Amino acid sequence: MTVHEGFGNRALLWIIAILGLLVIYAPPLYLLAISFNPALQPSLPSLSALSLDWYMALPREKALIGALQQSLLIAFATAVFATALSLLAALAYVELRFGRTSWFLLVLLPMFVPGVVQGLALSAVFSRLGVKASMITLISGHLLWAMPFAFIVILTSFAAVRQNFLLAAADLGANRWRQFVDVTLPLIRPGLVSAFIFSFLLSLNEFTRAFYLSGRQNTLPVVLFSKMNSGASPVIYAMSGAIFIASVLMVAALALYNLLGRRAPVLEAQ
Amino acid sequence: MVAEAAQRLSANAEIRDLSSKPAARLAAGTVNRTSPMNRRPFALLAPPLLAILLLGAVPLVLVLVWSFWTWDPATYWIKPDMSLAGYSAILDAGRWTVIVSTLLKAAGTATLCVFLAFPIAYVVQFLSGPRLQALLLALITIPFFTSYLIRSFSWRLVLGRTGIVNTMLQHIGLTQAPVDWLLFSNFAVVVGLVASYLPFAVFPLVLAFRRVPPDLIAAAQDLGAGFWRAVATILLPLTFSGIFAGFLFVFVMTAGSSTEVQMLGGAGASIVSVMINDVMRVANYPLAFAISTVVLAVIFTLVLVGNVTFKLSSLFAEEDR
Repeated sequence: MTVHEGFGNRALLWIIAILGLLVIYAPPLYLLAISFNPALQPSLPSLSALSLDWYMALPREKALIGALQQSLLIAFATAVFATALSLLAALAYVELRFGRTSWFLLVLLPMFVPGVVQGLALSAVFSRLGVKASMITLISGHLLWAMPFAFIVILTSFAAVRQNFLLAAADLGANRWRQFVDVTLPLIRPGLVSAFIFSFLLSLNEFTRAFYLSGRQNTLPVVLFSKMNSGASPVIYAMSGAIFIASVLMVAALALYNLLGRRAPVLEAQ
Repeated sequence: MVAEAAQRLSANAEIRDLSSKPAARLAAGTVNRTSPMNRRPFALLAPPLLAILLLGAVPLVLVLVWSFWTWDPATYWIKPDMSLAGYSAILDAGRWTVIVSTLLKAAGTATLCVFLAFPIAYVVQFLSGPRLQALLLALITIPFFTSYLIRSFSWRLVLGRTGIVNTMLQHIGLTQAPVDWLLFSNFAVVVGLVASYLPFAVFPLVLAFRRVPPDLIAAAQDLGAGFWRAVATILLPLTFSGIFAGFLFVFVMTAGSSTEVQMLGGAGASIVSVMINDVMRVANYPLAFAISTVVLAVIFTLVLVGNVTFKLSSLFAEEDR
């Protein structure tokens, strides 16, 4: 039995779906296209006039490059901590016998806290404690933003870990640590890699918390924001376009890696 | 991988204990309690719990407490008090209208997103082969991890006076002069919000659609229902939890958003988060904390109600493993 949408309905569903994707992707891709236009006025370049002029100008923008370096460092540190803490959170979730739903909700809740409120609250607490705004304060702010996503991804990857595998390992004399290292860890590795990349990108692109928490060296989104509002130059289009497409490519590469990984015969043991 | 692991493990076990089989060892009590049934989640739970409490919960509770304190000119900070001045200031100067308009924007954006997300989920689940499905899912996942700032900003280029929309409208002769209300307007803000948070509606819907057997719709059609009748009577009720979760997610994200209004809103346009920024510019801590408390109360209530009603965790994790 198959569903018969009818040609008209099928076309309608597709048109709305494509419209939805266009709303998400068309503007940033338009910005990306404009960044290849050597003219100062923002408009689509003609194919013959494509140029990398504005990208070549990027290294001379000391403020942007300094901010990019700062952002990359913070994103890396955030990704390390968020992945490690989310792994522990997911392991705890799997082992919990009661209060699972509450634990899940507690880890997830920071995702719904508005960035401005979270940033304001943390910066007020840090300044009361006499902690100066620095990389540490920024990483703290980004950690809570990244953890819910990392947690969900890792938790989903736990579906591959069957209780029987662990029981079998235990029967064969593996203690809990060996069970984790030899059975669980290889099975959830794709989830850990995804969580790391996702956390990295979430931190790299985060703006509202960074606005409150960054110290003397601003992060890239904070610098971009101020430049966007003070007469954006094509160099801003180039930087924004580059960051956008780099983020897209990283997630796409990850999706490909997971897809190829899934095809490998993982469960020969069954 | 597993087979290797099991082999390695069994090799180790044999070296350690050649004589006894697991059952025998169990009976003899020589197996220390290492089976996964022996759960010790609290050591695992402690580090993430500590991070969430110290970085998340404690600052927010302090914001709640501080919202009742009053300004102290001596310290340029606030002093302990039990004052409702912050809350009554919300009612002054039209600040409550910003809260109302934020909730309206959130409801409108969430509704639009659900209307777009439902067909997307249908296409992903029922109209795509495995490859196209994977591609579409990737396209829906990617926006979560790109910059909301850059995506909002790019709408300026699309909707501006010299943007592509105005250029096209003039080119085909629909208008003579550029249309001004396209950018720096509520229209632009809502468009930007939909573009930013649409994936938050698509995801729960795709997860809900996965649990609908297509046979059910086909059966309804066999019995004479038209396609839309089948959607209304079979698909809608079965995916209602996904629709509700999608609406809720977008509503909550929009209620806490700021970038879209900062990038695309007109002069004087505001939304709760932008209002908090403005209040902080004059260091009015009690008022900023009071607004934050109200927003958080609304958002947490919605999420908790949603969770009780539809058990959000079941969308993501298998229960009863």
